[in-house]
Amino acid sequence: MIQLLPLFVAIPLGAAFLTALAAFKARRLADVGSALATGALLVLAVITIGRQGVYPVGGFLAPLGITLVLDGFSVLLLLIVNGIGFLATLYSISYMERYTSKYKYFTLFLLMIGGMNGVVITGDVFNLFVFLEIASIASYALVAFGGEHEELEASFKYLVLGSVGSGFILLAIALVYGATGQLNMAGIAMALAGTDKHLLIAFASVLFLAGFSVKAALVPFHPWLPDAHPSAPAPISAMLSGVLIKALGVYALARIIFNVLGATPLFGMIVMGLGVLSMTVGVILAVGQWDFKRLLAYHSISQMGYVVLGIGLGMFILASGGDSVVAGTALLGGILHLANHAAFKSLLFFCAGSVEFRTGTRMLKELGGIQEKMPVTRLTCTVASLSIAGIPPLNGFWSKLIIVIATIQAAFTYPGLLVLTAVTVLVSFVTLVSFLKVLRYVFLGALPDAFRKIKESPFFMGVTIVSLALLCAGMGLLLVPAARGAILDPAIEALKQGLGYGSRVLAGM
Amino acid sequence: MQTDVLLLLLGVFMPFGIAVVLFFIPRRLKGVPEVLSLITALACFLSALRFVLLNHALTYSFPLLSLGEFIFSFDLATGPFHFFLILFTSGFGFFIAMYSFRYMASKSRRKEYYIFLLLALGGAGGVLVADHLIVFLLFWEIVSISLYFLITTGGEGSREGATKTMAILGAGDGCLLLGLGILWYLTRQLSWTAATVAVNGWLPAVCFILLAIGAVAKAGGMPFHSWLPKASDKAPASVMALLPASIDKLLGIYLLFVLCTKVFVLPFGLQATLMIVGGVTIVAAVMMALVQHTLPRLLSYHAISQVGYMVLGLGTGIPLAMAGALFHMLNNALYKNCLFLCSGAVESKTGTTELKDLGGLAKVMPVTFISFLIAALSISGVPLFNGFVSKWMIYQGIISGRNAVLFIFLIAAMFGSGLTLASFIKVLYSVFLGRTSPVTKKVSKDVGITMQIPMLVTALLCVLFGVWFSLPLNAFIFPALGSAPDMVGSFSPLLAALLMAGGFLFGILIYLAGRIRRKARTVETFTGGETAGGESARVSGTVFYNTVETMRPLGAVYGAQRKGALDPYTWFGRLGLAFSGLLKRIHDGRLPFYLLWSLLGLGVLLALFILR
Repeated sequence: MIQLLPLFVAIPLGAAFLTALAAFKARRLADVGSALATGALLVLAVITIGRQGVYPVGGFLAPLGITLVLDGFSVLLLLIVNGIGFLATLYSISYMERYTSKYKYFTLFLLMIGGMNGVVITGDVFNLFVFLEIASIASYALVAFGGEHEELEASFKYLVLGSVGSGFILLAIALVYGATGQLNMAGIAMALAGTDKHLLIAFASVLFLAGFSVKAALVPFHPWLPDAHPSAPAPISAMLSGVLIKALGVYALARIIFNVLGATPLFGMIVMGLGVLSMTVGVILAVGQWDFKRLLAYHSISQMGYVVLGIGLGMFILASGGDSVVAGTALLGGILHLANHAAFKSLLFFCAGSVEFRTGTRMLKELGGIQEKMPVTRLTCTVASLSIAGIPPLNGFWSKLIIVIATIQAAFTYPGLLVLTAVTVLVSFVTLVSFLKVLRYVFLGALPDAFRKIKESPFFMGVTIVSLALLCAGMGLLLVPAARGAILDPAIEALKQGLGYGSRVLAGM
Repeated sequence: MQTDVLLLLLGVFMPFGIAVVLFFIPRRLKGVPEVLSLITALACFLSALRFVLLNHALTYSFPLLSLGEFIFSFDLATGPFHFFLILFTSGFGFFIAMYSFRYMASKSRRKEYYIFLLLALGGAGGVLVADHLIVFLLFWEIVSISLYFLITTGGEGSREGATKTMAILGAGDGCLLLGLGILWYLTRQLSWTAATVAVNGWLPAVCFILLAIGAVAKAGGMPFHSWLPKASDKAPASVMALLPASIDKLLGIYLLFVLCTKVFVLPFGLQATLMIVGGVTIVAAVMMALVQHTLPRLLSYHAISQVGYMVLGLGTGIPLAMAGALFHMLNNALYKNCLFLCSGAVESKTGTTELKDLGGLAKVMPVTFISFLIAALSISGVPLFNGFVSKWMIYQGIISGRNAVLFIFLIAAMFGSGLTLASFIKVLYSVFLGRTSPVTKKVSKDVGITMQIPMLVTALLCVLFGVWFSLPLNAFIFPALGSAPDMVGSFSPLLAALLMAGGFLFGILIYLAGRIRRKARTVETFTGGETAGGESARVSGTVFYNTVETMRPLGAVYGAQRKGALDPYTWFGRLGLAFSGLLKRIHDGRLPFYLLWSLLGLGVLLALFILR
């Protein structure tokens, strides 16, 4: 199985170039090729469940060569990236008919997937930077894909801020290399384990934190997101909000801090602080929006706050020597919310796309009453809205509940953390209000005359949103012991092992 | 024991299962959702009835998920009182399903309606049997969200009401979640039955207040009441009858009861807060009800006002008053259900709920009229009807407290009761008595039998509970309370009935005496010698209390109320938009500023590391 690991990068990169070459002649080939490629990736990702291992690229062993590392946390991210990626491909088949040169779109799309897969499985920091840039640059181009004024402006902002983030990360990598003489993540972890924190490493970790916060769009590093995510075509919005900010931002941040540089209580507190700030600022901004997709984009910031809060809380408890079970609960909440957010947020963007596809607008005030015309979209969008608002028994409820529970459990030891519980619940309530607004203005009420003749979204788009709605309804089952043991627990264990990652990877797991 | 547990789980889960089945049934199959819902509600009713008759107490535990100290387990703990309440919720479900046969027949979202009706029933049953705090919350939220969807089945205009309802209930549920979290923090117990908290210090007080907000918002008490009238505008009357009028009241007050008696030992300050909330709710809501012009809105303000009695009774901490509050919860569910159903009957026959367009329906809709009359007398607290008994118990409780301050609340409660009667005189006159209007002239017969039965049965129960009140009190309510307080005053239903019958007879005799002596003359309304026929001669009841609205200190309050100045929904909405606007202004799209933020963020992070 481990021998197949390079395919996660090779398939999308290969398919991207082939699509670009072949699609001059046959237009359908791009559709079929991309769907096959992402479908194969999804199958591969499912096969990786429960496995782990190290693959030395070209046979050169770490610390000299580049290694690809598969562990529980990577498996979860691979599932998310390729699962949503496959659904987005299906959705694009119908949706992207509105644009010209679809094959260029699929080329960029596959490049982005390849970059994200690379980030998730690489075991080398510089390699991580390279993949991060592949994914980022592909996404800059995809945001601008429509070519209109608004899209170009958004893409430019995204490009500038994203490059600043990448710059931080590159600088940090240079500093770490200077301090340890290593680029292999396991090697760095080994070099740093048991030593006092070098000032240079502290500076590098701040740079990493800032850089990945830009990629994850945490407040105050967020302002590119509310422009970029709404401007992109709907499937790309779904990929950016549902996957990209997680793979490039949260995954990379958690991996570097937990497994490479080592967590400290202060670091945990700062990460929690970023989480709380993102949750509140994001949601307050979201509730006042009237553009459907922009509203969703601000909610992404807010929901990433939940994820980061859970991870930061786990980091804080672990690093300060607290109860490892409580830390595990916090991490479980954060990671489950990461997975859940991928499902419901991409579904929401797909629904927004379907509505825009049929009505031609995404301004809430111009919409209304399309529940009779687009019943499937209404149903799926309702499911996603209730999910993100944390209504039982949908998936968002469970992850938010676990985060709340983790904060209370942590408060048994640190009573001040009850404030986090209150903030979590409050933000959840504002989220509910915001999505009640969406449902009210888009689907309920009287149908404007302009929409008398609209139809339900096309077949492939329907398939995508229905499957995601089923996921939203059923992902609470991930908490069932069997599923938890197979998917979530290994991911948490991977983070909880801390710098022990180094020795395990060098020993080939 | 095994069969008991199975039956109990069946009673909780069957509605959910059938709801899922309904979801997959094609829309074409007419009548299937109706019949399935009816059978399901009946099954739940019978299952609860069995437990009530056997007088069982039952506990059940099924661990699902364990995260350190947090064990999520499907814990149920029930006693006769819980089953007695389920008897009510499922009974209401049964009659509403029957009522909806005809009432919802013309509506387009029928399937959705029945699905969420079943979910609400299942959720209500789950709340009542749940012992685990999180299981309780889960079912509780299912009821809230079902109400949201049920309101949206009311058609195009219903979206404002549905949104407002869910926003306020969502806030209540959020408070509940936070409160439950703090309760867990305080007691380290995740079970209702295990937790007892002495309120000493601010955190337990905050915990109680949060949980009480959840309960009061659900029940529709002030200041979280404003969703009720808004929802009633366009929601189907059967939905209003089922959830806000009956099940939500049962659940909200049940929670408050558990909080006040089982979980918290309340200090006087919190009791006083509850009493003030109750007293203000009674009077303020009934004052609002007086000046309403549409039937559902008027009824929904009364529904708010009645919550005041229950909150007041529970707040006193006096056993008799608390028993009265619990009994009032049941009575209120009965008569309020009946009132909303009658309002729906009138609406389905005339197509309007505007009081000014109605009148003279008593002759053509006798069953509706009789049911409405009984329920109206019950809610006004007229002896021989159930509302009187529970209010009388609350009054006695307050009097037996022998505290001068408490008498303010007694006066408020009695005053509210009087105004309720006044308000229902207006309704009875404008809808059923008086002269027929152009709209009501077209009505030729009463609603169908499936709509009549629910109204009649609830009305009948109002009378039964009013006369043989000692039966439910002794069998369920006193055991639930854990003590059997003696009635302080004396009230004999038989004597009262005889005296009242005597009074009626005496009145009839006087009337007949007058008729015999001199033949009364009946003429058309006339002005200046001319007969003033037609619409201009008709006096609608809506003008009865118009002067109240312009009376001096009250006028300003009514004006403020109309502008939404007394509604937390408006306050928080404006606050949220203000914050949002402020933040939006910073996000003006200027790239240099955005870059500056990132650099500042980096600077702050660095500073934190250096200064630690």
